[in-house]
Amino acid sequence: MSTSLRNYLLDKAPFLTACAMLVAILATYASLQRGVFSIDELNLVTGSAMTLILVATGQTIVILRGGIDLSVGGMVSLGTVIAATQFGTDPVNIVLWSSAILLLGFLIGAANGVMINYLQLQPFLVTLATWSVLSGVAMIILPTDGGSVPDWWIGFGYSEFLGLAGPVWMMIALIGFWFWFKSTRLGTTIRATGSSEKSAFLSGVSIMRVDIAAYGLSGFFAAAGALYLTTQTGGGSPIIGKDYILPSVAAAVIGGVSLFGGRGGLMGTVVGAFILILIGSLVFALRISSHWQPVLSGLILLVAVLTSSLTEKTAKGQAQ
Amino acid sequence: MNGFLVRYRAVLLAYGAVVLLLLVTAAFSPGFLSAANIRATLVLAAFVGIVALGQTFVIIGAGIDLSIPWVLNTAAILMTMLCASENLPLLWVMPLMLALGGGIGLFNGVGVAYFGVPAIIMTLATNVMLQGLILVFTGGSPTPLAPDAIRFLAVGQLGPVPVIVVIWAVLGVAATVLLSKMSFGRHLYALGGNETVAEFSGVPTRRTKILTYVGSGMTAAFAGMLMTGYSGQAYLGMGDPYLFTSVAAAAIGGASILGGTGHYVGTVAGALVLTILTGLLPALNLSSGALQVVYGAVILITVALSSDGVSASWAALFGRRKTQGAK
Amino acid sequence: MDLIEVSGLTKRYGGIVALEQASFSARAGEVHALIGENGAGKSTFIQILAGAVAHDGGDVLFDGAHYNPANPDDAETTGVTAVFQELSLIPDLTVEENIWFRREPRRWWGAADRRELRRKTLDLFEKYEFPPIQADRDVRRLTLAEQQIVEIAKGLAKSTRVLILDEATSALPAKETEWLLKLTRKLAEEGLLVIFISHRMGEVRSIADRMTIFRNGSTVATHVTDEVSDDEIVAQMIGRQMDRLYPERRDTTTGRIALKVSNLECGSRLRGVGFELREGEVLGVGGLQGHGHRELFQSLFGASRSTGEVELWGRTTRFNTPSQALSGREGIALVPEDRGGQGLLNSMSVRENLTLSVQRRMTWCGLVDSKREAALVREMVDLLSIKVDTPEQEAGTLSGGNQQKVVFGKMLLTEARVLLLYDPTRGVDVGTKSEIFQLMRDLAAQGYAILFHSSDMPELVHVCDRVMVLRAGHVAALLDRSAISEEAILRAAVLEKDT
Repeated sequence: MSTSLRNYLLDKAPFLTACAMLVAILATYASLQRGVFSIDELNLVTGSAMTLILVATGQTIVILRGGIDLSVGGMVSLGTVIAATQFGTDPVNIVLWSSAILLLGFLIGAANGVMINYLQLQPFLVTLATWSVLSGVAMIILPTDGGSVPDWWIGFGYSEFLGLAGPVWMMIALIGFWFWFKSTRLGTTIRATGSSEKSAFLSGVSIMRVDIAAYGLSGFFAAAGALYLTTQTGGGSPIIGKDYILPSVAAAVIGGVSLFGGRGGLMGTVVGAFILILIGSLVFALRISSHWQPVLSGLILLVAVLTSSLTEKTAKGQAQ
Repeated sequence: MNGFLVRYRAVLLAYGAVVLLLLVTAAFSPGFLSAANIRATLVLAAFVGIVALGQTFVIIGAGIDLSIPWVLNTAAILMTMLCASENLPLLWVMPLMLALGGGIGLFNGVGVAYFGVPAIIMTLATNVMLQGLILVFTGGSPTPLAPDAIRFLAVGQLGPVPVIVVIWAVLGVAATVLLSKMSFGRHLYALGGNETVAEFSGVPTRRTKILTYVGSGMTAAFAGMLMTGYSGQAYLGMGDPYLFTSVAAAAIGGASILGGTGHYVGTVAGALVLTILTGLLPALNLSSGALQVVYGAVILITVALSSDGVSASWAALFGRRKTQGAK
Repeated sequence: MDLIEVSGLTKRYGGIVALEQASFSARAGEVHALIGENGAGKSTFIQILAGAVAHDGGDVLFDGAHYNPANPDDAETTGVTAVFQELSLIPDLTVEENIWFRREPRRWWGAADRRELRRKTLDLFEKYEFPPIQADRDVRRLTLAEQQIVEIAKGLAKSTRVLILDEATSALPAKETEWLLKLTRKLAEEGLLVIFISHRMGEVRSIADRMTIFRNGSTVATHVTDEVSDDEIVAQMIGRQMDRLYPERRDTTTGRIALKVSNLECGSRLRGVGFELREGEVLGVGGLQGHGHRELFQSLFGASRSTGEVELWGRTTRFNTPSQALSGREGIALVPEDRGGQGLLNSMSVRENLTLSVQRRMTWCGLVDSKREAALVREMVDLLSIKVDTPEQEAGTLSGGNQQKVVFGKMLLTEARVLLLYDPTRGVDVGTKSEIFQLMRDLAAQGYAILFHSSDMPELVHVCDRVMVLRAGHVAALLDRSAISEEAILRAAVLEKDT
């Protein structure tokens, strides 16, 4: 095998493994159920996966920076709760509040970044605390599931354009965004800072700005995830965000994003998110208890990380 | 004296917070300082404290254990099932559950120490897998009641002091001795401080790491059984709140997530802070949402105050001249 | 007019004086070398010029105007670029992304213009005749030498008037070193000022127009290269301490073989090495960087995987972890090259650091006996004259020399009689260096067997009983006492073996 092909495979191994797992899951699924490789199925699955994909997008950016954001759970809850209580029926009002929620997400994320950077605190702890605060606020605003959003808002998940559902177009736009973002100066700098904070600093990067941008974007995408979620649930919930925290990290890790920072991309995260969602469908199709889903998810997560670990060791061995 | 103040500032701050909270709660709710209430608070704090014991050791070693919730739950449920349906005496079942918790910890530890899996991922995966397996096993239906033996243990009292608190105290002393007076503790602090230096100094790093995870699994299992005895029943999801509280207790007590620092004495204060805060709920007429906000704020404040940025000013206040060495 | 004029430059770190009244001047279009021992102040000096560190006193003029950059960026804007020994590359970015980091050519919509980026990179490589390097390779996949070259490219990519090279050749193999030396001359011809730090007199003589000698934090003299002899240079580098720096050497070897190594291979750099280390001897390991030294030491200590046979005091042994190497009476101890990253826990006390490896000597069933611990600590503090107010002091607050003593003490307490010392005097002040050399000879006299690597050839020449030279992962020469000289070591390190 030529060296450059070998190098490429080693570099991309975690991502390729994720793709292989996705294909395996789809194939198994297809053998049990008809119409898996159809547009309808794509629309359906993407619709279910979109919230996770959005939240995981922000998480990917933070992980590339070398941090982690546990507060996304609180942001998602808070977002749905504000939406469900403030939207009403007037479209203008809805647009205004949606924008406000997105802005709030960014600002809270930026606050995370400032605290982490200026006070030199651990991202795990800071975002854990912020998650608690945001969850609490959500609970204060709306103690139990409730609130409502207009019917046409909910319809987004079913809307179609040229045969593809709204969520699918959203995903395409997201991927397009990523390919642009990762090549911009900010995107490259975030990844560089995660790769080596010291070298980035020596090269004149303002680490504070990087942290504000990375965590701010994470908050923004969590808020976007919240808005999308309301199109699926039709209401707000103060506790629903909790279910998205660890899966958002898992989706990224399965997709090959390294927890140490600097390596990986959104494509992997999207694959990881689809894998996690499809495990649920697969378990259903296999007619086994739905409780097997977390077991399979955990196993796949471990396989993904071990592959990453192994290919790293191999690659390191030859670079000497 | 000055050196003491500087070294243990995080712990002192944490206990300061405990006192402050006690005063605040007592002011708003005079009945709070009754003997019965203090007992109840201590028992609840003991649960957090026991779980956080294992977590503290893992964190000092620069790791983290996210599998505590379902190790706890698994031990609780399996204990009730084995005792009730198989009619096995608690004497056998308890050590068995402890071994189970330790075994799961071993699984975690090997993954982290030998395969280089990041701790967050390894323990997260274990947690999630355990959850699925237990749900499959029980089918989601309720489990038998706790056996009488453990109920007696859990609600019993030794004089005025609940048995659980005594157990906690004993474990706490053991943990403190282990950390500060035994070579395992030295090795652990070195491992968490700088793994390479520890390695080059002959510290058995992998074994030490694995032991912390085994310990964490065991304390989680133990706490699960005690909790089941206390409430009379094991239920699904009973372990979930303890993930947050175990990490928060350790952090409030001064342990850095990066490893290398922390004392169990501080974690005890952290457990007390969190439990008293929960007690604040009815006292201040706070909704559970407001409580969450307060939780988060308290963690942020205590962690910020004991962070390095603030430590320089603290050291200046209590005067210790630091000489900088050139490289 | 001089491009750079420095007068009275002073820099202190707490109680340590790194630079005291240093003066310097250099012109555009020259290659100016900085010479001096480790710790003489050269690094601090260029760090100040490069804007990485602020000075405490003195004046720097650049092109006649006051020069006081706030940070490296500032310095680069003015036209001073430094390529340090410590690499500042981003591992997960490619070579070209690193070279043009934060200055990549962009399209109007914000994305990087990859084609233009590639073109600029290839043009740069061509202009300066760079050795072949793949532009789209992730930097972390490159060898150390290749990374050094990328670091140099990064420096050249900035429009600069002063290029500072800090021991840039230390990581480079012969051919790339040739290239770099030619490059510096070419840059000087183009009108740049190249400030060049190196320990290798041969290189300095071949490219430097002038040189400035540093000693003990101050500048001693500036010479035109062709007008000064090696003896004069050495004398000015070392001052009058030369005879007092190195201890007396007596033959303290017994007949016993402490360590016998055959066919030891480790990684890709140690290709097969065999030798005997005798009880009572100090065996030096010399040669150029990257030829297997690190791998040799780490594999003997159990810190790296290796194949081959090792006999310790006559018994075949294999250590897989340092923990194994340090356990028991008959062990091997290592004083590693990187104090901060491998040797000491900066936030722990001196006492805790000293006793970390010997818990078994001060515990009873795992419980620490404070009295025994205190005794062990006192033993080392006294033996090594470690300067501390109290053993409870944080190790990170000690000076470099004292920190090194703590690392020594930690290893001596293990009672292992085979000591591996990897560059133990790096970054250590002259006084402590002298103490360390004396300690080494004393230990040898007591029956220790010492394997000693130093990047400083005079040290090998004056302290060792024999010197083994590594080249390309093999033993190129084994020099007896009578045959040891800097020239002999260098010759073996650089030249192909005569058949």
